[in-house]
Amino acid sequence: MSETAREPAGMSADDVAARIGRAFPGGEFTVERWFAWLLADAALAGPETSTPGGPVGEPAHPLLAWTAATQAMGVTWDELFSWFGSSADDGPMFGEHETVWHAPMRVGRTYLVSGEVTSADRKSGRSGVFDVIGYVFRLHDKESGAHVADCWNSLILPRRLS
Amino acid sequence: MSDRADEGVTGADGAAVADRIGPLSPGMRLPDWHVAKVDGEKMKTTAALLRDPTPIHWDTAALRELGMGDRAINQGPLNMAYVMNMLAGFAGGYERVRRLRVRFRGNVREGDSLRAGGVVTDVRRQRADDGDEILCDCDVELSVVDGDAVLTGTATVALPGKGSGDE
Repeated sequence: MSETAREPAGMSADDVAARIGRAFPGGEFTVERWFAWLLADAALAGPETSTPGGPVGEPAHPLLAWTAATQAMGVTWDELFSWFGSSADDGPMFGEHETVWHAPMRVGRTYLVSGEVTSADRKSGRSGVFDVIGYVFRLHDKESGAHVADCWNSLILPRRLS
Repeated sequence: MSDRADEGVTGADGAAVADRIGPLSPGMRLPDWHVAKVDGEKMKTTAALLRDPTPIHWDTAALRELGMGDRAINQGPLNMAYVMNMLAGFAGGYERVRRLRVRFRGNVREGDSLRAGGVVTDVRRQRADDGDEILCDCDVELSVVDGDAVLTGTATVALPGKGSGDE
């Protein structure tokens, strides 16, 4: 096979594009105090904001919106990568991200997560061939039903040549 | 240089941080927020919390195999979180961060020193449940100190306006 005829291993561009509209199974995520503490610590934000015995409902780190969404999307990261014929070993990367918070994330609250794949494009650049996958999540407060946040993301999946 | 925001991010003093650095208007710079040295152990904690199997965050052998050097690569969400910390420090609390859109332009590696900053691009007033609030749009950036920008984007924070309960 000539160099110009080589194709990225795995799924074709059409197969990848066919995943647009696929819904995540979704689920729910409770912002437990220990989790909020550790995430804030890892983010260098000061875990004293989520002290043991603190009030339920205190604002949690805003990163919890993305975290809740991805923890309760209903598939693992490897399962998500596999939707597009990729895996963690291929070196997937974040492309872009947007979160809109309609209300603060709060310690002790449970959030319902839903979402779907919104775009899938094959591209090529200096680093080779890659797919750019867009997907969106919506978060609602389980108790009140209030719309709390929207998270849009794009994921870059490098393609190795076969 | 500290790896924590000088102002913290949970202060109940609302726009006090913003007020201290001058009139709120386009062109005003937000206070920088620094990371003295990115810690690989935080990446391991984050990988476990997020159930993220991507080895570039914790397995240097995998990094070398992928031709990506030998310093672990920080999770993108942590890079976003540093910008959120900067915004919350400026606005006076987590709950004041209303929108963040970012593009990931490069990798942050274990040991890097970082600076998160921003500049006000627009100031608007809107009605809120407990009175007026001021919405402040910003351009934001996270850069490696003495290096390149690794994340750029835009954000909106809310500051209490006249008549609000938080004023």
